[in-house]
Amino acid sequence: MKTKYLLTFPNEAAEEPITYRLVKDFDIKCNILRAQIDEKGGRMVLELDGPGDMIKKGIQFLKSKKVDVSAIKEGLRKDEEKCTQCGVCVSICPVGALFLDKKTWKIIFDENRCVVCGLCIDACPTTALELLL
Amino acid sequence: MEDEQLRTYAEINKRIESKTVSVMTAEEFKTKVAGEGLAKAAKDVDVVTTGTFGAMCSSGVLLNFGHSDPPIKMQKVWLDDIPSYTGLAAVDAYLGATELDDNLNMFHGGAHVIEDLVRGKPVKLKSVAYGTDCYPKREFESWISLKTVNQAVLFNPRNCYQNYAVATNGSNKVIYTYMGKLLSDFGNATYCSAGEISPLLNDPFFRTVGIGTRIFLGGAQGYVAWEGTQFNGKPLRSPNGTPRRPAGTLAVIGDLKKMSSDYLRALTMQKYGTSLSVGIGIPIPILDLEMAKFCSVRDADIFTAAFDYSETKRARTVLREVNYSELKSGEIEIKGKRVPTSSLSSIYKARQISNELKKWISKGQFVIQEPIQKFDLEREVKPLEVRTKEACK
Repeated sequence: MKTKYLLTFPNEAAEEPITYRLVKDFDIKCNILRAQIDEKGGRMVLELDGPGDMIKKGIQFLKSKKVDVSAIKEGLRKDEEKCTQCGVCVSICPVGALFLDKKTWKIIFDENRCVVCGLCIDACPTTALELLL
Repeated sequence: MEDEQLRTYAEINKRIESKTVSVMTAEEFKTKVAGEGLAKAAKDVDVVTTGTFGAMCSSGVLLNFGHSDPPIKMQKVWLDDIPSYTGLAAVDAYLGATELDDNLNMFHGGAHVIEDLVRGKPVKLKSVAYGTDCYPKREFESWISLKTVNQAVLFNPRNCYQNYAVATNGSNKVIYTYMGKLLSDFGNATYCSAGEISPLLNDPFFRTVGIGTRIFLGGAQGYVAWEGTQFNGKPLRSPNGTPRRPAGTLAVIGDLKKMSSDYLRALTMQKYGTSLSVGIGIPIPILDLEMAKFCSVRDADIFTAAFDYSETKRARTVLREVNYSELKSGEIEIKGKRVPTSSLSSIYKARQISNELKKWISKGQFVIQEPIQKFDLEREVKPLEVRTKEACK
């Protein structure tokens, strides 16, 4: 089971090596997609891959460390009304989550592949792409 | 044999009126030529429809608001805070697509006001004047819409480029250009012609497109008004006639009141400015075998040049030449690196436009207009230099 989570942690939790603990104690594959830390604490987009019960335990551990955890169902939204299917975003996306369907020439967004990096946001000429984090 | 006439404009239009015309989109025609041969396709098809939908900065709307009571000679005009040019008669103004407000808000420029107008939304008109004996009013504020104004004419001095450059970035930082966001170290490349379905690549020498040509413009019927600004009639060409660099352009005109936001969209090229995406479709009459041959050109045989847009001089160095089949494949090679490509123009919309135009022609709603005057292909592009008065004589 592979799911993306948004972790928000307070200042005091910033020093805890949480990804190390998730790997070591819960055998969860962690993929850090985004991380941002400032004086108020930090935010991290983390993809967790492992058996459902272990992920559940891992999340309980994070919560015990005062880290707020929420599953990301939708990290990026493509507004189909605004999108003109030009394709500017296609060569910007580093993971192929935005790609061209060669049959219809429409731009397809694959949520599963998206790493919520946000590189596409300021490339879109019709502001059809919105980061939901 | 190539110049043996197959049909005249009058014959085509008679067939359009009687709804017996044979019309195909550029894509359909090319497939037919590939399958059945040029002679058969030329014999069977009267008209080929083309399309393009891309950023066309040199666009704008000429408005006449009607006269207020008491009357005003508008000296300055703002439409939803976007300044409009008023160095014309009392209540005429020209709203340009790339115009920005005083705060340089690139998410709401002239193009956005044009899109709002097309969508039927009310727009705030503000005007100031110095007042004259015959136009005493000095200030005027009101709401307007496409319903309330006398005229709203889309008049675009330069649209529909016949081919365009490919942009990439060899520097070590991201740059934001009119060709979009370009990632560092040749991280991506953008192109902006629809290639083989783009109108002017199917009539490379402007045999059937000239002043007066009736076209699909923004979802309505419009016209070619003139050659576009920066028109280059003598570009480097391939043996098939298509230009290998940006070449001809069109000035186009049409009634904004009849247009649709499906084919006219405001764009924000971030950290660059605003622009208008304009949908244009042009019918190409298959007058003879030569026109059929022009319309049979494929992406693999249409070339353009890639440039490093981090070079900030007028004449950038050509990195390489590349064809549209490679560009549309999603990846090209530059300096030994596989570089992902993006189209700035919507090929999806371009296809939609060529289909829509085909429908109009098939239903007898759109007849072909022979150019009233052809363009001068001897015209070349002049640069702007710092000159003395004498050097201008």
